[in-house]
Amino acid sequence: MTAAGAERLTALYPDATLTGDDLKSCCAAVYGHPAVRWLLGDELHPGGEETTRLALRLAGLKPGERLLDVASGTGASALLAGRDFGTHAVGVEYGEEAVDDARAAASEAGLERRVSFVRGDAEELPAADSSFDVVLCECSLCTFPDKERAVAEFHRVLRPGGRLALSDVVIDDERLPERLHGALATIACVGAALPADGYERLLSGAGFTDLEREPRQEDAARFAERIEDRLRGARLLGFDSLAELPLPVDEALDAIGAAREAISDGALGYAIFSATRR
Amino acid sequence: MTGGGTSNGDAGAHGLLGRTQSICPRCRRVLDAELVERDGRVLLTRTCPEHGSIEAVVYGDAKRYAEIQRFSKPGEEPRERQTESLRGCPHDCGICPEHAQHTCLGIIEVNTACNLDCPICFADSGSGQQEHGYSLTLEQVESMLDAFVRAEGEPESVQLSGGEPSIHPQILEMLQAARERGIPLVMLNTNGIRLARDPRFAPALAEIGVHVYLQFDGFSDATQLAIRGKSLTEEKLRALDRCAEAGVSVSLAAAVERGLNEHEVGEIVRFGVEHPAVSGVFFQPVTHSGRFRADADPLDKLTNSDLIELIAAQLPDWFRDDDFVPVPCCSPTCRSATFALYDGEDLVPLPRLVDVEQYLDYVTNRAVPDLDVREALEGLWSAKAAGGSAPVAERLECIACATAMPPELREVAARGFMIVIQDFQDPYTLDVEKLRKCCVSEIVPDGRLIPFCAYNSVGYREQVRLQMSEHSGNGAVAPR
Repeated sequence: MTAAGAERLTALYPDATLTGDDLKSCCAAVYGHPAVRWLLGDELHPGGEETTRLALRLAGLKPGERLLDVASGTGASALLAGRDFGTHAVGVEYGEEAVDDARAAASEAGLERRVSFVRGDAEELPAADSSFDVVLCECSLCTFPDKERAVAEFHRVLRPGGRLALSDVVIDDERLPERLHGALATIACVGAALPADGYERLLSGAGFTDLEREPRQEDAARFAERIEDRLRGARLLGFDSLAELPLPVDEALDAIGAAREAISDGALGYAIFSATRR
Repeated sequence: MTGGGTSNGDAGAHGLLGRTQSICPRCRRVLDAELVERDGRVLLTRTCPEHGSIEAVVYGDAKRYAEIQRFSKPGEEPRERQTESLRGCPHDCGICPEHAQHTCLGIIEVNTACNLDCPICFADSGSGQQEHGYSLTLEQVESMLDAFVRAEGEPESVQLSGGEPSIHPQILEMLQAARERGIPLVMLNTNGIRLARDPRFAPALAEIGVHVYLQFDGFSDATQLAIRGKSLTEEKLRALDRCAEAGVSVSLAAAVERGLNEHEVGEIVRFGVEHPAVSGVFFQPVTHSGRFRADADPLDKLTNSDLIELIAAQLPDWFRDDDFVPVPCCSPTCRSATFALYDGEDLVPLPRLVDVEQYLDYVTNRAVPDLDVREALEGLWSAKAAGGSAPVAERLECIACATAMPPELREVAARGFMIVIQDFQDPYTLDVEKLRKCCVSEIVPDGRLIPFCAYNSVGYREQVRLQMSEHSGNGAVAPR
């Protein structure tokens, strides 16, 4: 991110030092923003519903099982699991408004008895030990300040034999261009993403076994293209910035252009990891 | 049979995609037919006991053909059906009780005379002394418009065509009669010659509020000589400038034929988005009915998927194949469309900004986020829509409003440029199941509404022409 971009970000979120809790609030605020939801779509992550289904299948989610969706946003994935997989799902989300929206969506879908949402922190999950069969965490771990702690929490709340489905941005540290590092890139799931073996080390370090990886490079490419298209739409319709977002459209277009290039070079991508809690 | 793409193979050996009925292009008898996949394309095959095996390509991409079947909206009832089921589809048109759709777009051919002699004319019109020809009276057109209003209640779109309707001495009165019946989109299908030569014509159309549907097949002389019989670029450009000056909005209509003007589709779009009068382009693969290329190989015809691929290939910075979403009212292989936002530099198709597919998918079982948006999109992805018309602008604005599109984008979104690809059927490609869902009708003088592709393929055009000519001798028709 440029210095000007950082200044604008600081102006918008004056308390954000972009570490710890502030980073979490900032992420929650950005992803809850209507303009960002328009840019990214309701699922807010690459691959959309199709990739969520695949992640849940890879984790072997069965009807009647208990699912915890960590960083559940406005609830699309937890609702999908409740509706299409017949599971009991709980979504944990740091952003309060998103929790409200998710609850409203659950009751609108008539799923409120099977799918519920609570406000909470991934690094301190509001759930008892061994209380879930499957944990899902989509495109969020990369934004968590203390990833080890979050993964340890996933492990704690899973029952022995329970499974984790983790999808996230993967990077090739050495080849990722400089402009895709930094605070804004962190919020955009890129700056603090790990290489694939970095996630795998985290998971085995926390005691997970049977690690499997499903590369989803094409999800990343389509996602970046979609964001670029919508930014182009915003630019040609004549504005500098989308609502009060901290980044001018032109600058965002530059960044997304760099991201698309990195995706096609393989320096940036997306993958689903699945693992079993011993 | 001659030019019929005789098959030596067994259709069953290839992927069977569906069963339907078709006709024999020679004797017009109705035959059981199969839709089969071969070499990645979709063919319509059947065997006539008298004329042998008949095959024609109906869609160039079998994978896309399967994918787009979900864009199929259940049919709507017309208010009135004019004929009974006697001989079976497609021989009872009018609309008969077997038809599964109402009419989005009504077409009235006001004359058979023309000031050109286009080799491709499916209406078999021309400038010379014709054995059978007619010219409708204003009263006849009025009663046909009334029949359309009875059938539809509040029809949204009508097109006056020919022949060349602009040379009919009462064409302005006829257009006015359509407007007076509350039809918001009244189109004049024209070759543009009168617009170019008569400086009073465009202002007169502007005053009535007519949208011009201008034949515009490309820029090269070779293209125009083959399709229209002479080079008309200068006249077309003059016609367009006169429309721009008078404030008449225009859709360009390009007939595209393999080996002729395939390479010009990108240039036509580029020209269209730049020209102040042009608000959309309609591409039509040339149909081999009427007099054009009666010997053309029905296995070598362009289809909608080919045109979509051509546009995306020639304008890769602007379009992808999936920007063209099938119109769900008729069969999803008949017509695909997109709306594009353009600022003089960059162009972004609307489906990149709004998840159009999510709304127009009637098969995949998922909740529609907003029914108002679906309704607006149905009105845009429709045969009754033309870029730049008032109903289209209203619907574009509604979509911008109802989706999460930020408020600043909405007004500009209303100026979307419409690109349509529409494949009409000919006697080789006629699929009766598809025909049952047809929502473009020829309104004929006796008040019947005949689905467009049946009109041109089954023999109705010839019947009407003969009947009308007998009434009129040769030329003007006396009211019956």
